[in-house]
Amino acid sequence: MYTIIHAIIGYFFLLLVVRVMVRRPGGQLTPFEFVIVFLIGGVIILATVGDDHSVTNCTCAIIAVGLVHRVVAIARGKSRTFSRWIDGIPMVLLRNGEWQLEAMEGLRVDPDDVMAAARQKGIRSLDEIKYAVVEKNGSISIIRNSD
Amino acid sequence: MSSPARTRPVEDTIPKIENELAIGEDLEFQRRWWRFEHVVWICFTIILALDIAGVFGRGPLSKAHAKTSDGAIHMTYERFARFQTPSLISLHLSPAAVRNGHIQLWVSQSIIKPLGNQRIIPQPATSELAQDGVLYTWPSGVRPDSVDFAIEPSTAGVEHFTVRLPELGDQLTERVIVYP
Repeated sequence: MYTIIHAIIGYFFLLLVVRVMVRRPGGQLTPFEFVIVFLIGGVIILATVGDDHSVTNCTCAIIAVGLVHRVVAIARGKSRTFSRWIDGIPMVLLRNGEWQLEAMEGLRVDPDDVMAAARQKGIRSLDEIKYAVVEKNGSISIIRNSD
Repeated sequence: MSSPARTRPVEDTIPKIENELAIGEDLEFQRRWWRFEHVVWICFTIILALDIAGVFGRGPLSKAHAKTSDGAIHMTYERFARFQTPSLISLHLSPAAVRNGHIQLWVSQSIIKPLGNQRIIPQPATSELAQDGVLYTWPSGVRPDSVDFAIEPSTAGVEHFTVRLPELGDQLTERVIVYP
């Protein structure tokens, strides 16, 4: 029973930590962030299974995590508010030639990140961008002036 | 015959900016989130500071001392312990603890069970069940300067324990908080 309780607490704690660690521009995990995710995951596993390393215990822990994840996914689908707290919301970074400074500072994004996303769409300068939006997964969407 | 696929007309429910780009941006919500995020990081910092200080065990604030009025027992222990994590209760005994050619020490049952005593250093010559506890005896020839109880708490919560020199009547009752 303790394993299941620990697994549920561990799931939500990990969710909180990853959520408050600010979205990464580009939506990709850098090696630096891989280290964080693996390290936190490893530590939570230790507390979850305790000194019972049996297949039974580990199976129960995996099922508990899977079940919680499913419940959270269903709740996300049903409640927009819950979904926003879990996933965040898209934010506009650049709008008609003006940087949205509050969003940029809050999300720790700088113009270089926006330009990097723009280059992937074949855009050569910031003048060609009408909107730059950081998505829920951290990727930056670019909409051209001509679109 | 298979039933038709379920469908629903598309509704333009996602708020737009400049009436042309459907994003669903909500700056007010985001500001609330940033404030929440700020509070979470402050809490994390406080938790780490408390941990370094020893409030969650294994630090300066965790170390505790207690002494009987006549100084026969001087005990050091950790007032904050952790579930299934080794900790030490050390009893320093004065020469006055030797009576009738031996040292007798009574410890409450809580040291054995909830606090999970693993071993006693040095090993007593005899141990016997006594009223709500265990009575240990060491021959005076090997009078130990200190007796260590290596504990590993088996339950979380607040545990009280008592040690006593039955032949002198002195006793110490202390409390250990065991974190899960």
